[in-house]
Amino acid sequence: MDLIKATEVRLGDRLRSRDGTELTVTRIDDGFLGRPEFLAFVEDSAEKWFKMPAPRDREVELVRRDT
Amino acid sequence: MDFDLTGIDGRPLDRTDLEGNAVLVVNVASRCGLTPQYEGLERLQQRYSDAGFTVLGVPCNQFAGQEPGTPEEIQQFCSTTYGTTFPMTEKLDVNGQGRAPLYEQLTAVPDAEGEAGEVQWNFEKFLISPAGEVVARFRPPVEPEDESIISAIESVLP
Repeated sequence: MDLIKATEVRLGDRLRSRDGTELTVTRIDDGFLGRPEFLAFVEDSAEKWFKMPAPRDREVELVRRDT
Repeated sequence: MDFDLTGIDGRPLDRTDLEGNAVLVVNVASRCGLTPQYEGLERLQQRYSDAGFTVLGVPCNQFAGQEPGTPEEIQQFCSTTYGTTFPMTEKLDVNGQGRAPLYEQLTAVPDAEGEAGEVQWNFEKFLISPAGEVVARFRPPVEPEDESIISAIESVLP
C-alpha cells in the first residue's frame, strides 16, 4: 500500500478512499466546507462522481499513478 | 416537481406527501460527522408536519462512501437511531452525469452567497415551496433548526 501526502496528489492519480472506493482524481478543491486545512479530491467522470476530503497534513492511499 | 420519485422501500413515493406542501430536501448519509443532524430534521418534521411541511431524505453514497448500506439498513438505522418519520427516497446520485432529475432542478439554485452548482457534502438542504419553486438552499454545516431555515420554512408554509 503506497501512502502519499495529500498535498502531493496530482490530477490523474488513482486513490482509495477509507471505505474502499477507488477514484481517479479529475479535480482538487482547495478547502472543504470552509476549512482551509483540507483538500477535497473529486472524480467527475462518465463512470462516477465521488468526493473524498483529506487534511493537507495527512497521507492518502495511492493505488496508481500514470507517469 | 414534475417527475416521479421512488421511495426507499422501492415503491413510488406518495406524491400527496409532497404536492402542496413545503418540502425540505436533504441528501443524507449514515456514517457522516453531520449524521446527528437527523435529530434536528426530525424535530422540524414533528413541529411543522401538521402545517403543510415535510422533510424528504435522499440517501446518497457519493461523499466518501458514507452511505453504503442497503435500503433496509438505511431505514433501520434512521428509525432506530433517530426515530425518523419523514419520507425517504431510494439512494440517488446528487452530483455528476448520473445526477437524479430532482437534483438537476435543485442544484441550479444558488445558496445565500449566490453560488449554485454541485452539492458540497452530505446534509445540504433545499427548500421547495408548496407551489413547487425551489426557494432556498442551505449548505451542509447549517443546522436544521438554524434560524435561517426556520424563518424560510415559516415564510412558505401553505
